[in-house]
Amino acid sequence: MKKFALGIYVAIVVVLMVWGFYQAIYVAPDDALQGYVFRIIYYHVPSASVAFLFFAVSLLGSIGFLTWRRNRPEWAQLSDAWAVAGAEVGVVFCTVVLITGPIWARRAWGIWWTWDARLTTTLVLWLIYVSYLLLRRFAAGPQVQTLAAVLGIFGALDVPIVYMSNRWWRTQHPAPVFGGDADSGMKDPQMLAAFGWGMVSWLAWGLLILFLRYRVEREHQKNAHLEAMEALEAKI
Amino acid sequence: MSRALWTHLIKDLRIEWRSKEAINSMLFFALLVVVLFSLAFDPRGSFSQNIAGGVLSVATMFASVSALNQAWAREIRHQVLDAQRMAPTPGSDLFLAKVIANFLFVSIVQVVLAPVFLVMYNLRVQGDGWLLAVVLPLGTWALVANGTFFAALSIRSRNRELLLPLILFPIFIPALLAMVQATTSILTGESDPSLWIKLLVGYDIIFTTVGLLLFEVVLHAE
Amino acid sequence: MDQRSILDHQFVVAAYTVTWVIQLGYLAYLGLKWRAEKRRASIDSGNKR
Repeated sequence: MKKFALGIYVAIVVVLMVWGFYQAIYVAPDDALQGYVFRIIYYHVPSASVAFLFFAVSLLGSIGFLTWRRNRPEWAQLSDAWAVAGAEVGVVFCTVVLITGPIWARRAWGIWWTWDARLTTTLVLWLIYVSYLLLRRFAAGPQVQTLAAVLGIFGALDVPIVYMSNRWWRTQHPAPVFGGDADSGMKDPQMLAAFGWGMVSWLAWGLLILFLRYRVEREHQKNAHLEAMEALEAKI
Repeated sequence: MSRALWTHLIKDLRIEWRSKEAINSMLFFALLVVVLFSLAFDPRGSFSQNIAGGVLSVATMFASVSALNQAWAREIRHQVLDAQRMAPTPGSDLFLAKVIANFLFVSIVQVVLAPVFLVMYNLRVQGDGWLLAVVLPLGTWALVANGTFFAALSIRSRNRELLLPLILFPIFIPALLAMVQATTSILTGESDPSLWIKLLVGYDIIFTTVGLLLFEVVLHAE
Repeated sequence: MDQRSILDHQFVVAAYTVTWVIQLGYLAYLGLKWRAEKRRASIDSGNKR
């Protein structure tokens, strides 16, 4: 039953992606200012939204793990699996954002990059969660989950500070504003529709990948647990 | 200041005073960084005022990491962490003492390095020079507080020395920005550093508090 | 004008391609991880006496 439901969902996601692509490339008109290149927005902005959402999921997972690891260990393990899944899939989507962004910017505004609040925060967010993943990979010992959860909280705390600090920096050194006019200026209903489909399809795809990553992590946890139990019960 | 905190602090200071290993390596590393940056980014002329803040901050970062990597080494070698776990005193005392000790070491390095800096970059402070004595300690505290905490996080990792800067630097970015902007605006006298100082104060308070709260968790996770 | 729109098109293609390479690459990576964990699981349960 579960496999069937998953199969249906995969089919839905594929249909959504195809439909979203069709909307983005064939239905939506060219932008008045930016022309054809504007279509990158249908992939770029939804990816950013999904990335931020999943980083929030990771933060909740970290908090959940620290909260429940003593009194409800099973819940803590679930939380930790979400923490890892959210961080890793978030990094994947964030990578897409950081690459498609400059590609778009180069054509639309003439420069690859600028240090405004949004871009800098996205980049720092990416750095923080990559470092989180590195900690998980390199920290040995049974307490990786706890240490990673603590780092997750530190990292998440930093994000609003980065954003604010960059806003203040920009008021001293005004720089081009990327995308500020792009989505606020979307009045054409076909563009809005394409954008909406883009959001829905990428969210659906993201949730699928997030769920798959979560399952892989649960499998990994079970194996680690089995191996630990065997080590304890080692028969000579 | 509680007795435990004081004891930890005096112990660290005394050991460092006898061996001077952390301060010496930091000093030399910081000096190297300053010289290298001088060669890489030509500090001649008025331009030097603009980059001196950045160079000083980055030199402090690299120098601190070399000390922070060793921050818990002694504690690990002599099972001090086990003793701390069994002791009735809160782990946060040990943490705060270590942060204060490392903060003093890095600050000493900065004070020694300052004249070298002034000379190499021909610096003339055009703003409120005394504010530097506020900005630099605030920035250093941010670095050392988080660095000491993350050093404890990465104790058991294989690439401990590599992992610490990888974790520390991204989170430190806003404080770095504030420190550099404030220093530059003080040196050039061109803008008001008070916003950046407020940011640094906020950053220090937030992360020191969170570090104190979560250190017990990390201590027992080791 | 036409040269410009050709370049526009190429950039869009590049952006979309990169996106899919990353997403599908990650999916493939997940598939490999899943297989590795399943293999590990069968070894572990094979060891249980």
